[in-house]
Amino acid sequence: MKPAIVSLEDVRLGYAAITVLDHVSLAVARGEFVALIGPNGAGKTTLLRGMLGLIPVLAGRIEYGFDRAANPPGYVPQREALDPIFPLSVFEVVLMGTYAKLSPLQRVGHAHRSLARQCLEEVGLAALAKRQFWELSGGQKQRVLIARALAAGPEVLFLDEPTAGVDHEAEQTIIDLIGRLNRDRALTAILVSHHLGHIQSLVHSVVWVDDAKATKRSIEDVRAEEGVASLFRARH
Amino acid sequence: MGDLLQILSPSFLLRDALIASVLVGVVCPLVGVYFVLRRMIFLGVALPQVSAAGIAAAFFAYQFIVGPHQQMVGNEHLLAMVGSFAFTMSATLMLALLERRGRETVEARIGTTYAVAAAATILFLAKDPHGDAQMVNLLKGDILATTSASLAWMVVSFTVIGFALLAFRKELLLVSFDRDLAIVFGKRAGLWDVVLYLMIGGVISLGVMTAGPMATFGFLVVPPVTMRMITGRMMTFMLGSAALGGATAFTGFYCAYRFDLPLGPSEVALSSGVLLVAWLAATARRAIRSRRSP
Repeated sequence: MKPAIVSLEDVRLGYAAITVLDHVSLAVARGEFVALIGPNGAGKTTLLRGMLGLIPVLAGRIEYGFDRAANPPGYVPQREALDPIFPLSVFEVVLMGTYAKLSPLQRVGHAHRSLARQCLEEVGLAALAKRQFWELSGGQKQRVLIARALAAGPEVLFLDEPTAGVDHEAEQTIIDLIGRLNRDRALTAILVSHHLGHIQSLVHSVVWVDDAKATKRSIEDVRAEEGVASLFRARH
Repeated sequence: MGDLLQILSPSFLLRDALIASVLVGVVCPLVGVYFVLRRMIFLGVALPQVSAAGIAAAFFAYQFIVGPHQQMVGNEHLLAMVGSFAFTMSATLMLALLERRGRETVEARIGTTYAVAAAATILFLAKDPHGDAQMVNLLKGDILATTSASLAWMVVSFTVIGFALLAFRKELLLVSFDRDLAIVFGKRAGLWDVVLYLMIGGVISLGVMTAGPMATFGFLVVPPVTMRMITGRMMTFMLGSAALGGATAFTGFYCAYRFDLPLGPSEVALSSGVLLVAWLAATARRAIRSRRSP
């Protein structure tokens, strides 16, 4: 068993007095590709935000197998959360990822620009560097946000519904990209999705989130349990 | 042409006022871009009004403690600046705190702030007839009363704030555009909000003291809104807004001098004219694009 990169021990997550998830204990191994699956409103995004430290842990504890200060995780938010009023080129969005390791007053240098270009190449969008971010299609925007996450040089990538609202072809491209990053870079990937669909051939484990609980199972176990597997397929 | 050469001359009588006007025109849009990007444009109306309330409160306090006062000279000027700065900073920090914790909408908070500040200004002035005359001057834009000392203070403050805005632009952009990512990266988002609001408060206090609430609001909002129609790059947006603000301030000053018009309204009218031209150009460009596309 590889060492855990993120582990939750009897964790309770929620907002103010409202508990969304309780008694969550699970570990994500280094290099693992994990999908957080469950019905709408079950708490998948809450679990992801808890793991990222974006909401306080109400009880229990979360431990990280990497230095968060030196090497922050990569985060791909839902693209609808970003405001199109910001005048940003594709390159400027990706460059933001390099800010992770820049202190105040430290300038964005040649090396950071070069890294941003590499990340953009890695997601296959180098040709669009000068385009307006908001002019891109949904799938392209999502790949730009993945490039931005990579520019932080993370050991683990958190993705919040990266394929929501994109067409079938774009969904396949995004999933293939995440799978390739997980395989070739040994990058741990934790992804929120409504259904297993295309990712079931790539993920190693599934965390089923429902009824205030989160339970982790290997993909083999999920496939073996026909009831759960059919539920995932039905949602697709 | 003769008037233009005259105002460009180093011995121009209103040289300090011209420099102060251009400085307000350059620096207000630099903080104004964050009003536009954070969709808090109405804050640009409320905060100058709060600043004016602070000045009125300072006049009232002066009259109450010391006695009747004349035009803003010496200690009175300093007192007014303290009042403006204290009120603006308090309101800015309170709004920043409530932005994260309050339950009501941002618009409701800003609207309430404006109403309270406007009422407070009138109430303070009702008990201070000398202050009333000075407030009218301020609302018109009392920039012609700029002294060498106030200009020096303004140059130093605006230079520091201008450099800080450019030096911290990556932190301010990250916190404004994707706050969650900033937190994931370990940036202290709340602290950067406070830094931004303090700079906004400082610029507004000095802007209102120098050019009045109307011109300050005009420069905070109109150049950034205009540039947003023109550019798709963040750096161009910031620097272009500052350049446009500076250019309209200078041209506004020239027009006011040449045609004997009040300065603040001249500058705002000119900025609005540029905004109208930019909007017409953007609309025409969109129409041409849509005709070309199949």
